[in-house]
Amino acid sequence: MKRAYQVEMAVIRNYTRQLFGLGIFVAACTCVGMQSLAGAPGVLTCMYFIMGALATSAYDEQNNWGLYRLAMPFNRHEVVLARYGAIATIGLIGMAAGMIGALALSAIATVAPLPGDLSATLGLTQDNIQAMVFSCALCAIVGSGVAAIETPIYLRFGQTKATQWIPMISVLLFISPAIILGATGGLGNFAGIADTIRGIFAFIETPVGAAVSLVVALAVSAIILGISAAISLALYDRREL
Amino acid sequence: MSPMASDSTIPAAPLIDARSLTKHYDGFSLQDVNLTVDEGEVVGFVGQNGAGKSTTIKALLGIIELDGGEARVLGTDAHDLGHTSAGARTKEEIGVVFDTVSVPGHLRVADVGHVHALAYSTWSQHIFNRLTRAFALDPAKQVKDLSRGMGMKLSLACALSHGARLLILDEATAGLDPMARDEVLDLLRGFVEAPGHAVLMSSHITSDLEKIADRVVCIEDGRIVFNLAKDEITDEMGIARCRACDFETICASGIIPEREIRYRKHDYGIDLLVPDRFAFAENFPNIPVDHMTIDDYLTLTLKGGVR
Repeated sequence: MKRAYQVEMAVIRNYTRQLFGLGIFVAACTCVGMQSLAGAPGVLTCMYFIMGALATSAYDEQNNWGLYRLAMPFNRHEVVLARYGAIATIGLIGMAAGMIGALALSAIATVAPLPGDLSATLGLTQDNIQAMVFSCALCAIVGSGVAAIETPIYLRFGQTKATQWIPMISVLLFISPAIILGATGGLGNFAGIADTIRGIFAFIETPVGAAVSLVVALAVSAIILGISAAISLALYDRREL
Repeated sequence: MSPMASDSTIPAAPLIDARSLTKHYDGFSLQDVNLTVDEGEVVGFVGQNGAGKSTTIKALLGIIELDGGEARVLGTDAHDLGHTSAGARTKEEIGVVFDTVSVPGHLRVADVGHVHALAYSTWSQHIFNRLTRAFALDPAKQVKDLSRGMGMKLSLACALSHGARLLILDEATAGLDPMARDEVLDLLRGFVEAPGHAVLMSSHITSDLEKIADRVVCIEDGRIVFNLAKDEITDEMGIARCRACDFETICASGIIPEREIRYRKHDYGIDLLVPDRFAFAENFPNIPVDHMTIDDYLTLTLKGGVR
């Protein structure tokens, strides 16, 4: 398992570096739109989970790498578990890179005089840090959720014309509840649970709450990926390349 | 009798032992394929495109599930190769080359060595470096920038650098220039001379098999058509170039058993498969008989008429 994981990481290593450049660009656009650095770590977390799952599956198709790997000294379970290990690692790398980058930029904004009220907006304040942590937490669930849907399908069918729609469909699945809520008047329609949800959000807005949200999100991500891995193990066992 | 003496009398188990392999797909079936590769042997696996060579190789490696039959490679059941830890360990001793360089294109030659070093506990970086130097492979070059020939050389370098006992090569010499093919064949000769080693090599380039194979197995439409010692084809058999009237005389003579007369008609005459060209030459000294090549034998067997 360890060797299969190392091979997976060796193959994806260059892509992970390249993804950082793209992630910075997308994060920068998000930050300009939001007028805040808070979303940057979340963008990178989400991107790394989703693109990690996509890219590792794409490499399987290149030059029949997925076929050749089965001729290497790994069994199929090791291949699947290594894949999930790599996706989780890449997601966490994205989260760490996003947090470090955003905190560094916040620190610079705090000490360097920036035009307008940018120093105050981007500065290293408790609110900003909590928002960054929560964005990581939320995006870890979305990113690992999309990866958890994509990966069993790719491991069973490979990347085909049909399966290329899976990332978009799974992202829509995640954002559609928010779109529906927004279009139908938000939580006001759900009087019974609205107070509970407001209470949760109030807790998340505290320092402890933000930290707990991240721990819970990572635990949920681990469970989601674990369930997905169990499905993938069964599906990849029957895959014929 | 001492145990050692007893061991020496027991023939070594085949490195590949496949019996009655059966696999059905829509429009194609592998049917009752039997194939063995013994220690010290180079077995050439030939057949037309889509005949079932790659499917057989995948079945041997446990990459596809069989509908029937049994395959053992280095004593391990083919299914276990893909599904158990013991099977995975067995694959340390199997070098595989498919018909393309089988690693993602962005990896550099040096990265490919690194990936294999991570995968194989028996990996020899020294051998890999020596082979890549001998093949003039630039360590900094990306796989996607390699020509097909250079890519195949890289694949061979990988297969030969982890102490494999068995090489399974699927069209490994395709795309190589004649000089490079000779280099590769020399390497394979050296490989198979080591005790306990063997090679199964599928190829369309039958001239390579004439140089190196001990046995030739032909598959057609998913069935084994022949399995013969290479020398039987190239040294004993012949191809008689006869006229139509000669052909009738030969058929009537009974030198070739009924229903085993294989021939191919041309505008200028008939090519006839002769099982023993020396006996034939004694009986028909006026009819020219050429050496049989594997290509000729394939053509006469697969496309020739039978009488």
